[in-house]
Amino acid sequence: MMDTLNSRADVTLGALFLEFAKIGLCGIGSMLAWAHRVIVDERHWMGEAEFAETLSLCQFLPGPENANISIYVGAKFRGPVGALVALLGLTAAPLAVGLVLGTLYLRYPHPAVIQKVLGGISAAAAGLLIATGIKMLMPHRRRAAALFFAALAFAGIIFAKLPLLTVLVGLVPLSIALAGVMSLRAE
Amino acid sequence: MSSPPAPVAFAAQLALLSLISFGGIPSVLPDIHSLVVVTKGWATDREFADFYAIAQAMPGLPMILMMSLIGWKVGGLAGALASAVATCGPSSAVAFVASRLGNRFRDAPWQRIVRRGLVPVTVGIVIASGYVLARAADNGWQAAAITGAAAGLILGTRINPLWILIAAGAIGGLGLI
Repeated sequence: MMDTLNSRADVTLGALFLEFAKIGLCGIGSMLAWAHRVIVDERHWMGEAEFAETLSLCQFLPGPENANISIYVGAKFRGPVGALVALLGLTAAPLAVGLVLGTLYLRYPHPAVIQKVLGGISAAAAGLLIATGIKMLMPHRRRAAALFFAALAFAGIIFAKLPLLTVLVGLVPLSIALAGVMSLRAE
Repeated sequence: MSSPPAPVAFAAQLALLSLISFGGIPSVLPDIHSLVVVTKGWATDREFADFYAIAQAMPGLPMILMMSLIGWKVGGLAGALASAVATCGPSSAVAFVASRLGNRFRDAPWQRIVRRGLVPVTVGIVIASGYVLARAADNGWQAAAITGAAAGLILGTRINPLWILIAAGAIGGLGLI
């Protein structure tokens, strides 16, 4: 399950830098959709299950989850240097673009059309993120407990309006406990 | 000099908050707001909200850009770069150590159970985030249709998502939303 899909030699530092720069630059609104596309669909650096598990851990850890994903992927293939290169790829170019455009936007008046273009992009980006979640759920679609906890997490954020950390801390222990009980039963 | 210059003080505080930002930087956003706006007066409420909105609309990691924009205001380009490093540096070091430890125990039975329990909650949160983003962008049924069409295209075709974003931006720019 945890097999390395690419041999280490395939994953050069240059490839790590460029692919993560692509994720960073394309990821307006939802970077996760791009991370999933590049890492799982295009490069096969991780399988669907490993990606989902890595994301879970990265959500829990402090710091931006996408930065943490770049650390995990870089470290997996190239150790500390790979982690640093992947993180730099993810952050450097978008930060330069964002600082320049952001400063211009704050300093000068801007036509209303920009707001409308951004509105369209946000609506589509939301769709990309929802689709990514559904893709990640597909391997678990026959496990009732998995669907139940996914629905509960969704409801906790959307309907109960709980903070992310509260949902994680509240649901994860229960979800793990149930997974433990069920794996004992299965034995 | 009894206290460090503002950019150094801001970066140092950020580095500390980065270490405890379990669940992501937004979980410590209230602390950052109280430091930057209330305690130190480095930015106004309005500026803080503008930085947030701009960061969401730009490529890259929103929270790193937002902190860099504040850092820029506090101490120019050097302040911006120091803030970017402080936002993700300490947490990345934690992630690296965690990835090493996780690898060592990769095949332990309890790890498999932990992962089976973690993933569904994560997936629920991802879908909820998409829903929140859709609601934030919502301008009626047209925007909802774009969100639905984008999700359908991703699930049903192999189209490059960039085309979806470009098309949606064009539809928005033409005032059709």
